[in-house]
Amino acid sequence: MSCLEVRELLPELAIGVLGAEERAEVERHLRWCAGCRKEAAELGAAAATLAFALEPAPVPHGLGERIVERVRRAAGPPGTPRRARTAAASIVAAMVAIASLGWGAVMAGRADRFEARAAQAERARAEALERFQRILTSVVPDRQLPASETHLGQLRPTADGLGGGAVLQLVSETMLDFTIVIVSGLDPEDAAALPYRVELENAAGQVLRAGRIAELDADGGAEVFRQFRNKSLGGFTTVRVVNAQGEEVLSGAVDQTA
Amino acid sequence: MEGLLAGNEAAVRVLYARYARPIFTLGLRLLGSAEAAEELTQDVFLAAWRKAARFDPARGRLSTWLMTIAHNLAVDRLRRETGSTRPHLVLVGDVPEVVGASEDDAVVERDAAIRALDSLSDAEKRLLARAYFGGLTAREIAEADGIPLGTVKTRLRTALIKVRRAHEGKERP
Repeated sequence: MSCLEVRELLPELAIGVLGAEERAEVERHLRWCAGCRKEAAELGAAAATLAFALEPAPVPHGLGERIVERVRRAAGPPGTPRRARTAAASIVAAMVAIASLGWGAVMAGRADRFEARAAQAERARAEALERFQRILTSVVPDRQLPASETHLGQLRPTADGLGGGAVLQLVSETMLDFTIVIVSGLDPEDAAALPYRVELENAAGQVLRAGRIAELDADGGAEVFRQFRNKSLGGFTTVRVVNAQGEEVLSGAVDQTA
Repeated sequence: MEGLLAGNEAAVRVLYARYARPIFTLGLRLLGSAEAAEELTQDVFLAAWRKAARFDPARGRLSTWLMTIAHNLAVDRLRRETGSTRPHLVLVGDVPEVVGASEDDAVVERDAAIRALDSLSDAEKRLLARAYFGGLTAREIAEADGIPLGTVKTRLRTALIKVRRAHEGKERP
């Protein structure tokens, strides 16, 4: 989709009446196009104005407490794996957003600005990693996650598919290795594609199951976390997301040298 | 936002105090019942907690981000319930009447919004309301009114830009 085609659809995106297919295409474009993204943000803010102008209705008694309780339940007690996992996953998602922004700009950018933009993307990546580390430390206080043992990778759609994702691996001498895989932008309407399986592969062709995606959220997103008790993830750098038909929909590589 | 990310209760309460009412109101308007609006409000705060790390202040205000989550969840729910590819038409109405500015600090956002909408003609207000609250696509509006699709799209865009400019103008000192 060209910028011209995307901009024609942005008002309907802002108002929330764009069909799922067009919405996915537009959102894909917005991931790398800063100009269209700016316009989308402005139109989105204008659309939200309509909601804020409504005559406010009284909120049911006790709703605040019910919401706090629901978030608390979802978060789990401090230091639990679920809480750590969610926080880590959110940070990886943020990291991907930042990284894709940077690299998108690099790809779309002019050659003379390549270097500056590449440096900017690299800084964004480093900042995101640092943030990831800070949050993980805050939710699991007794764990330190050394940057030298934490590796990242991005997942891209195969062929003309939709979606993307990110991978974070801990390959450690002293801790149990784990992998977090985040996917987003897969087709949430495509029930036949479920469940997806997430696989890791090494150069020798050995394959490890990193998890299974049984359902997608409304954005076509899901998170997979797996800790490996008796296996080192060293060398398992190829990551694949495969649908129920056995077709590869996303793939990428983790840079374990970084 | 970092507090929200860590599941911090105080952060949830702060956001709730500020935004629960407009979110609940939007739910009521789009979904039509207090039960559905309450469920939506809960879902919005849970979604905000889950997506907290994706919020980027450089790309928009927190209020817009939350309201976009709310509107998208409400529209998705309507689509699911009606099995339709587009939102079910719940209500086609005008945007609210312009009333005097409230003295309540909590509704400053509302006053600003009403003033921004005041920059539109009645026809533009109706057009936006039919799309945003009524869930009509540009094509459906074009067909209903017997005007070209391109014209409807241009008018939607023009109206949104006018609202944005009026809102920005207000925010500037």
